[in-house]
Amino acid sequence: MTLLKEPDLGTPDRPGEATVEVDIDGQQVFVPEGISVMRAAALAGIEIPKLCATDSMEAFGSCRLCLVEVDGGRGAPASCTTPVAVGMKVKTQTEKLAKLRRGVMELYISDHPLDCLTCPANGDCELQDMSGVVGLRDVRYGYAGENHLDAPTDHSNPYFDFDASKCIVCSRCVRACSEIQGTFALTIDGRGFDSKVAASAGESFMDSECVSCGACVQACPTSTLQERSVIDLGMPTRSVLTTCAYCGVGCSFKAELRGDEVVRMVPYKDGGANEGHSCVKGRFAFGYASHPDRVMKPMMRDSITDPWREVEWDDAIGFVASRMLEIQDKYGLGSIGGITSSRCTNEEVYVVQKMVRAAFGNNNVDTCARVCHSPTGYGLKQTFGTSAGTQDFKSVDQSDVMVVIGANPTDGHPVFASRMKRRLRQGAQLIVVDPRRIDMVRMPHLEAAHHLQLAPGTNVAVINAMAHVVVTEGLVDRDFVAERCEGFEAWESFIARPEHSPEAVEEITRVPAEELRAAARMYAGAQNAAIYYGLGVTEHSQGSTMVMGMANLAMATGSIGREGVGVNPLRGQNNVQGSCDMGSFPHELPGYRHVSDDAVREVFEQVWGRPILEEPGLRIPNMFDAALDGSFRAVFIQGEDIAQSDPNTRHVQAALSAMDLVVVQDLFLNETAKLAHVFLPGTSFLEKDGTFTNAERRINRVRPVMRPKTGKHEWQIICEIAQAMGYKMHYDNTSQIMDEVAATTPTFAGVSFELLDRVGSVQWPCNDKAPVGTPIMHVDGFVRGKGSFVQTAYVPTEERSTRRFPLILTTGRILSQYNVGSQTRRTANVAWHPEDVLEIHPHDAEDRGIRDGDLVSLASRVGETTLHAKIMDRMPVGVVYTTFHHPVTGANVVTTEHSDWATNCPEYKVTAVQVKLHQPAVSTSHSADAAHEPSSVLID
Amino acid sequence: MSAPVTVYVPRDSAARSVGADEVAARLLEATSRDHVRLVRNGSRGMLWLEPLVEIATSEGRVAYGSVSVDDVDDLLAAGMLAGAEHPKRLGLTDGIEWLSRQSRVTFARVGVVDPLSADDYLAHGGMTGLRRALELTPAEVVAEVTESGLRGRGGAGFPAGVKWQTVLQTEQTPKYICCNADEGDSGTFADRMLMEGDPYTLVEGMLVAAHAVGATEGYVYIRSEYPDAASILSSAIEIAYARGWLGQNVLGSELSLDLFIRIGAGAYICGEETSMLESLEGKRGEIRAKPPIPALAGLFGQPTVVNNVITLAAVPGILSDGGSAYHAYGMERSRGTQVFQLAGNIAHGGIVETAFGITLGELVIGYGGGTISGRPVRAVQVGGPLGAYLPTSSFDLPMDYEAFTAAGAMIGHGGLVVFDDSVDMAQQARFAMEFCAEESCGKCTPCRIGSVRGVEVIDRIIAGEDREANLVLLDDLCEVMTEGSLCAMGGLTPMPVQSALRHFPDDFAKDSPGTRTRPAQLAPEATS
Amino acid sequence: MVRLANDIAAQFRHLPPDEAAADVADHIRRFWDPRMRAELLALADHRQVDLDAGVLAAAELLREGVAR
Repeated sequence: MTLLKEPDLGTPDRPGEATVEVDIDGQQVFVPEGISVMRAAALAGIEIPKLCATDSMEAFGSCRLCLVEVDGGRGAPASCTTPVAVGMKVKTQTEKLAKLRRGVMELYISDHPLDCLTCPANGDCELQDMSGVVGLRDVRYGYAGENHLDAPTDHSNPYFDFDASKCIVCSRCVRACSEIQGTFALTIDGRGFDSKVAASAGESFMDSECVSCGACVQACPTSTLQERSVIDLGMPTRSVLTTCAYCGVGCSFKAELRGDEVVRMVPYKDGGANEGHSCVKGRFAFGYASHPDRVMKPMMRDSITDPWREVEWDDAIGFVASRMLEIQDKYGLGSIGGITSSRCTNEEVYVVQKMVRAAFGNNNVDTCARVCHSPTGYGLKQTFGTSAGTQDFKSVDQSDVMVVIGANPTDGHPVFASRMKRRLRQGAQLIVVDPRRIDMVRMPHLEAAHHLQLAPGTNVAVINAMAHVVVTEGLVDRDFVAERCEGFEAWESFIARPEHSPEAVEEITRVPAEELRAAARMYAGAQNAAIYYGLGVTEHSQGSTMVMGMANLAMATGSIGREGVGVNPLRGQNNVQGSCDMGSFPHELPGYRHVSDDAVREVFEQVWGRPILEEPGLRIPNMFDAALDGSFRAVFIQGEDIAQSDPNTRHVQAALSAMDLVVVQDLFLNETAKLAHVFLPGTSFLEKDGTFTNAERRINRVRPVMRPKTGKHEWQIICEIAQAMGYKMHYDNTSQIMDEVAATTPTFAGVSFELLDRVGSVQWPCNDKAPVGTPIMHVDGFVRGKGSFVQTAYVPTEERSTRRFPLILTTGRILSQYNVGSQTRRTANVAWHPEDVLEIHPHDAEDRGIRDGDLVSLASRVGETTLHAKIMDRMPVGVVYTTFHHPVTGANVVTTEHSDWATNCPEYKVTAVQVKLHQPAVSTSHSADAAHEPSSVLID
Repeated sequence: MSAPVTVYVPRDSAARSVGADEVAARLLEATSRDHVRLVRNGSRGMLWLEPLVEIATSEGRVAYGSVSVDDVDDLLAAGMLAGAEHPKRLGLTDGIEWLSRQSRVTFARVGVVDPLSADDYLAHGGMTGLRRALELTPAEVVAEVTESGLRGRGGAGFPAGVKWQTVLQTEQTPKYICCNADEGDSGTFADRMLMEGDPYTLVEGMLVAAHAVGATEGYVYIRSEYPDAASILSSAIEIAYARGWLGQNVLGSELSLDLFIRIGAGAYICGEETSMLESLEGKRGEIRAKPPIPALAGLFGQPTVVNNVITLAAVPGILSDGGSAYHAYGMERSRGTQVFQLAGNIAHGGIVETAFGITLGELVIGYGGGTISGRPVRAVQVGGPLGAYLPTSSFDLPMDYEAFTAAGAMIGHGGLVVFDDSVDMAQQARFAMEFCAEESCGKCTPCRIGSVRGVEVIDRIIAGEDREANLVLLDDLCEVMTEGSLCAMGGLTPMPVQSALRHFPDDFAKDSPGTRTRPAQLAPEATS
Repeated sequence: MVRLANDIAAQFRHLPPDEAAADVADHIRRFWDPRMRAELLALADHRQVDLDAGVLAAAELLREGVAR
């Protein structure tokens, strides 16, 4: 339970060592040097009236309510913009100040509706509060003067209204949009009394550049920018602190409720990952949790052609357990397995892998991270010793150069992107390595220093060339390498070979050699240079190699082990990190320890009371192959829609169809459930009780906002299946699960719910050596001892353009949608992205007679789908791009079986395709003709 | 064949507005190039005599004014080119008492030189200030400026040396020099006249400032209403680059300065330094809260000197003649000369550069000659639209920053606007609020809403609605605006309002507008 | 299966054959399910498919490992 209204100290902190003593209203206080008088007073418990000030933004000094008197100073300075000084004597309450403040408030109220009782912000309005605080009793100007009471309301955004008649022009929204979000969509239009908040060039919010992050709504002190849900439902009465279940940033939110109904999600100021910021998904797109499509009762059927029938929990659980045992009896111990989900909590994932290892008695457990960040696990383990990003998000505040490789933070990780943009606006430099001109290449007030627009599939050639420049131009941090690393000499002579030079690879990478050299020099020459990467690195046939290539580069330049540097995966899902940490991979027990390690197995065998196999189990694609072979016959799938999200859909569907038992645990009847025999309804994050671990290894509490709508927690269901299979597995609550993780896993030894409740969140490793966690890794030494240079030979993918399939398809995400879209498609976010479209370069479009908006067919050698074309030059000639948020598009119908050599992570980012006009377009309008609806077909 | 006669016809826009271009064109038409060398100089600042035509003679420059295009043939026929007598002949320019009584220091070259002639500039002492500055260390230059007592001529009167010292001491680079040429106050035109009549002085002043504080880039922010000033200054900058006065290694020294002109977009508020900086950065012209002061975090967050045109233009003289010479002018803490601008209902309007300490009456009557309408002076607004309205009883007030402050007034940028006895001071008070409402940037509440309410309250007072209560309310509003506004715009708006209330209370006490008969005013005591 | 194995071998082709074979074998040992390893060995035995030389060398090492 958190406070509905958190204290607001008015202006931001100025972290530093020094303190000064000031006298505020006769009270001696020691406060940090450089903070404002307002904040100093607030720290001393003295609240100075304010409207335009809020501690999430720099002081602005416009409302003039916070005036104070300073001994020896002239007039009445604003306390928000006046920094404390040694020996300063401040008076915050005098007769004169009271009169001035009342005078200012009198002006405000002379141009404000007097509808407090029926106003949605009634009870949560700073104007109302301040009016009370200053004791305004009369507005002598009357209300007949010039005013804005007739200003219209903008209802265009699906989640919030902008009621201009209530605006006090404090600019908090405008500042939030620029300072916090960095989008600069809002501005003040006009001047003087005509000043008004405007979105872009006076457009509606929806038509403007607004990304609906909610920062403006959060910042508004009145009801001018107000959540639609508050307007409809009224003010929340309680709040619960929890963690967003969308991307890997892991934002902390206060779920604000009336009874059991969520009124709004408010980003939490003290959230370690987001510090009070949010994006359109986490802030607003939570409606799916109560969407009518949600299944609330277990369902079963004998054959996938039968209709579903609702059953009781005991029946469903009993059936699953007995079928699993039967199948094992018949086809052997290894004939069944499970898949964990990165959407679920650490505790839920832990019990699934425990069920597989202890109750099923095999290692056939894998996770959906297989298809996203498994190469991160492999690559960082080989080089640094553990599978995790090296930094906390805050670290980027110290970066002088950021390299963003194969990631699109403004769409995929918007809250972290805002932090990056803030640092870039302070003067840090940006290098983007991506085939697509992502938004960060050029955005308001910012431009990347270098955009290495490489050909898809040539990552390793590019990173090797950068390393080549570092090695051959004398940019290696020799001291760091000598002291901290091994394998350098062999790597150095390998990478110095002429075939790795930028000039030598220019033809295949299509990156101009001089540009690449300049980027490499910028990276190596920076005081602090950090690498951030996404699935554009991992989802390649050399995904793991690329991860190691980046690690090599970081080690060679000494860019590891302190603030501002590092190699950081931007995790796609809320709990990718956690689900991997929890031992979801078939070869690893929790804490990334190989199953062949006798000592580790012994720890778990002791606690679990069952022997653990020392051989790795099947990975997801191996499960499919084995299913088609007939040796793998039953699978428990926790919250993952493999039929939509895994490559080569046809192959996946065939494999699932070949199995005797497919059990799906999910919120919705997804594409996979169409091929399942048992459906176990899952819980949304609002019902879950546990922890998520974000991309910076931060373990955040997920607290239940309501009881499970399905009647059972997911971890309870798992335990009951295991029990029914004859394995005793019981916990009273999820905190006991985390205690078991802590007891068995050294990097989690110090973690407990009690600790998390006390300190908010911790970043693992958290143990005796780091009792409140480890924000930056590899500070004194690498986890594996010495950092290991790995020779990363560039091996071209076999997937390449041919005469029949001359274009390369690559995929990505969009801000408003999340992955396969099963959640965001069930919210008003569809207003921004009603369908997936194919981005195609004007030249490629012209060659094919394709016009903007035409329905086109997209075909690879494995499948074909149709979607609408969007002509744009973000991609180079020869490359097309789409998103994979809508099942109807079926982007994975066309993706192939190629995968990362080390981890089998699918090569989503490179598929040779052909694009053709689907049929002569009657009209270019998307919705004009039903025949134009996109569809996907499987071809044999 | 004898050498051609040099004839001066100002190109100053004030002169052009009364026909200087036509006069010049007619002169060229009516004479041969062999006989006349036409120089388009700046204005001497005697605006009632424009167009003022000058002829270079062996005795000196002989002035004729005001010359209309129709006078030209007659004047030529009378032998003007030889300096002959004519009803329009004013004698030697230097002998005109109105001019000779002044202390032209900053404006020494304005009207004298060919504005764009670099040689002329050098011949009249140009670049000696910079040359001397380059011989000194930056700290010594700052000390010289500090010693001179020069205060900001834009209006605030902040000591220039102190500002420069702050920027000099700040280690962060790059540093900038920003010249505020957004001269928007009513009745002011000194910045414009200097830029049009002697642009190199401004360039030189900025070079000295750049050397003094270590700046490498300079910006001149000119209001869009000054196209002539902008084009002359921009030509001057071009020529200065060609001469090696700008760019890398100025005059062969270590000093490098690039100078740019930026044109405003018509907002009065951009004359306020922080708004000007916002505008220079390409943003909306809106006040920044201080601190941080621009000297520490100005343009693009870097240490920045922001000075008015006249402040910077005073600097070359201070360097060439020494700070103490400049300091010798003036009184108390107001040292040096001020370039006063006489405007409004005045007989002899124009530029009066003179030492501080001259009385208001001497300026209005002694120089200005009273009203042009011939009616008695009733009020003088000093310091722009936000300055106080002073009655004739204040004519003894010396022009001194502190004396004016004590009198509830301000000198500002040195503009004086004169009104005769037909003025309705309640309407003037209303106008002050209206002006504020029109020009407020809208950032702070007292200014944004207060100015609008101010107009409404004054309207009610004028209309006799609940007058006593509304006078109290107006007083409270003025206090909120004065004490509570973010910048001088809102903070000073009450000054004209309250001075009008204080000095002319009767104008607010009319029973209904327009029915009042004004009591006869005392004739001004001082006459010239 | 063949493609998977050949892909791994391709990554180590820049190394001397002995080292490469050891690395390939180690990788397969650490990450492959036993039934996949068995299948690979069977494929290597039959020589009917187009297995990379590096894979064949690794298969020998795996076989020794199993024997051990």
